[in-house]
Amino acid sequence: MKIIESLLSRLDDMACRSSREIAQRSSRRRFIGKLGALMVGATAFPLLPVSRANAEPPSEMGDPQSCDYWRYCALGGTLCTCCGGSMTTCPPGAEPSPISWVGTCLNPVDNKHYLISYNDCCGKAICGRCFCHRAERDTPVYAPSKANDILWCFGTESRTYHCTVAIVLGEASA
Amino acid sequence: MQTGGLKKARVSAMMGVLLSWGVSSASAEIAPEVMGKSTMGEPTPTWLMVHDAVGPAYVFDSATGDMQGLLSLSGFTPAVVVNLAEGRAYAAESFYSRGVRGVRTDVLTIYDLPTLSPVGEVEIPQKIAALPFPQYIEMLDDERHVAVFNLTPGMSVSIIDVEDQEFVDEISTPGCALMMAVAERGFLQLCGDGAVQLIRLGRNGKEIERIRSDAFFSLEDDPVFDKPVQTSRGWLLTSYHGLVYEVEVDGGEISISEPWPMLSEADREADWLPGGGQLVAFHQEQDLIFILMNQDGEFAQDSPGTQVWVYNREAQQRVAQIPLTQDGTNLFVSQDEHPLLTVTGVDAQLHIFDVKTLKQVRTISEVGVAPGLLQGF
Repeated sequence: MKIIESLLSRLDDMACRSSREIAQRSSRRRFIGKLGALMVGATAFPLLPVSRANAEPPSEMGDPQSCDYWRYCALGGTLCTCCGGSMTTCPPGAEPSPISWVGTCLNPVDNKHYLISYNDCCGKAICGRCFCHRAERDTPVYAPSKANDILWCFGTESRTYHCTVAIVLGEASA
Repeated sequence: MQTGGLKKARVSAMMGVLLSWGVSSASAEIAPEVMGKSTMGEPTPTWLMVHDAVGPAYVFDSATGDMQGLLSLSGFTPAVVVNLAEGRAYAAESFYSRGVRGVRTDVLTIYDLPTLSPVGEVEIPQKIAALPFPQYIEMLDDERHVAVFNLTPGMSVSIIDVEDQEFVDEISTPGCALMMAVAERGFLQLCGDGAVQLIRLGRNGKEIERIRSDAFFSLEDDPVFDKPVQTSRGWLLTSYHGLVYEVEVDGGEISISEPWPMLSEADREADWLPGGGQLVAFHQEQDLIFILMNQDGEFAQDSPGTQVWVYNREAQQRVAQIPLTQDGTNLFVSQDEHPLLTVTGVDAQLHIFDVKTLKQVRTISEVGVAPGLLQGF
């Protein structure tokens, strides 16, 4: 959803704006690399609550509010984690779209590929925070099941786009 | 006496100043004015519409940088088609009765170009595909029928008769998207199985013919971008890895050229690949292809380009490289003798280049909230 990207590039908060300035001076991949490096320096890798509660080795690492989080490898849109929702839930009042596109992303913790369902949350004005566009194995719109340049608010009361969640469907090779 | 003379001189000088003020004041007096309306001039090849992410299309002249007007469009409108001779623009639009919610209405709106105002609308199925794709709407060669692409995510095409201002039909096109106009009320589509599909309409706008090519590209290995551009003979397709295909229709036959590579071995070793949003433009008379390139590696097909590469289509050779000061997402080239290339930058400005000198000649700023898709008239 490049339209969302460009819109949000004008509406982001200061933190996102700083990130974007880096992005504009460099390529997206170099940008992600730089962002990753900054985060390592800041030791900003929160573990998932489940992992912490069980005191078990983490199943995921990284910042779910950052575009370089492993689940977002084929996400195009804005992150619901920055908008009052989570990786699997829409923000209050937004309606989950039952129809989604999928990506296959590598979880660096267990080195396994997972099938990720990207579902748009709809029916509210655009969130306007933490835009993200990554295109691993992204296909053109004439092959829509893996295409992120589509407004995926289908089967909802309103097609208005709010943000996107990234739900693990299962191990890709399973 | 001397003092009196000075006084007289001063008084005389002051009167002169006052007199001159009075004269100039009288001559500069501005007559009372009445508020009026401007009308837009006749578009030239250097004029373009710049679609903002939130809906409106700004009209600029890339030759001067001056804004000419604004077309208010819905936030779901993908693109517009223009009939210059009729002074009309047509836009697929989607509206909710309460802004982001409420009752949905989809229409094809007919805009008058001189006033950039709606003069009619035709209600169409509530299925229009959103997001800015130029080939999500197409004017067929009879200039009477407009095709609007639907995505639900089932794929279909709505046909509208703009002369009678009525919806004609919805044509189901499973697995095939976009519309690329060809002769005799026809349009081509790109399909997920690596083929193209030709659909032809009768005089009444109803489908009368449908044929499909053999598959000629692999979706898995090297898909073609969903951003075809029209050439003088047909349509030009570019693949993720930089292969160029040309598709033509001759009578009832679809012909697809042998692909040729845009990238040399050295280019590939340097990680160059096509990338961007509206990443290709074509100049008809000069037979030039313009394409955004980046070095961001695999899966960077949507990432902005750092350079524009220029190819001669017939010779299948690169003739120029234009480094960009700001990475670019969209391209537009004016179809005139001295073409100007417009690039939408990631800095939300338009960067205009003289194609002959390859130099940047101007920048246009404050182009809406987030400028994207570029279209000519």
